[in-house]
Amino acid sequence: MSSVFKALADPSRRRVLQLLRQRPMSAGELADHFPVSKPTMSAHFAILQEAGLIEAEKTGRTIIYRLKMSVLEDALLSFAHTLGWKMKLQEGARTAAENGAAKRRPLKGES
Amino acid sequence: MEARPTWYYLAPALLVLGTLLAAANLYLRPERAVPWIVSVLLLGGMAVVLALVTRGSSDDVARRRAAVSIRSAIVFAGLILVFTLSVSLVNAINATGNREISERVTMAILGAYLVFTGNAIPKTLSPLSTMPGDAARVQALQRLAGWTWVLTGFFYAIAWLVLPRSLAEAITFVLLPAAMLMILAQLFRLRRARQHPA
Repeated sequence: MSSVFKALADPSRRRVLQLLRQRPMSAGELADHFPVSKPTMSAHFAILQEAGLIEAEKTGRTIIYRLKMSVLEDALLSFAHTLGWKMKLQEGARTAAENGAAKRRPLKGES
Repeated sequence: MEARPTWYYLAPALLVLGTLLAAANLYLRPERAVPWIVSVLLLGGMAVVLALVTRGSSDDVARRRAAVSIRSAIVFAGLILVFTLSVSLVNAINATGNREISERVTMAILGAYLVFTGNAIPKTLSPLSTMPGDAARVQALQRLAGWTWVLTGFFYAIAWLVLPRSLAEAITFVLLPAAMLMILAQLFRLRRARQHPA
């Protein structure tokens, strides 16, 4: 179960799972959605496979990835996504507030 | 040899416990021998199936999956029998006479079984080459079937645990057919889409 939590902890891996919810996709199709290198994507795929959340199947020269999530894991993904999204919003709001405060702070020498 | 998880031994343990409980019931109430003998025969049948499943273990993924699902079905059936026999035994020694609790817990275990089997539905994948029709549609159907069974089982169990008996019965008669109809309708749609691709 810890491998599932580890897999779901990363936003890129969650995005991979969400893309695979639509339909099975090839490694190339999935990689097109991410601005990262192929080895990085391969590492993400390996972690997801290790956690048993996706399955790879070779058809011809392409590897097709597809979802292999139980209902509980599916619910966990939705939960992690919502939580991650909220945390991101909170983080964004905090950064914006800090930036605003920094702008308002008088510079050295200012009265 | 591969180490087996603890739950692996749950099925035989439940079968042995069930047989002991049936024997104790037979000893205390020999005038009602038929249900106890039927219980022992059922447990014996499950033991034979379990032995066949254990002996026939192979490297084939599909066979291993089938063995796991048979084993889990035996665990749930064993749980229901053990619980029912325990309540009968308690009634026989006059500790309590509440028959409703037995029925409610049995139904809750059935609900839990629906949750357990529904949870695993989207994880059962067949090879893409042998997949009937569009893989995306099959995946969507599996997810829908899984979620439907899990939610049905959850509400079924909760209804039998907390609601009045009559209401729980009514919910059971609505929930299960509705869930089955929903899945069958989606299966029908998938079949039609395969026959008349867009």
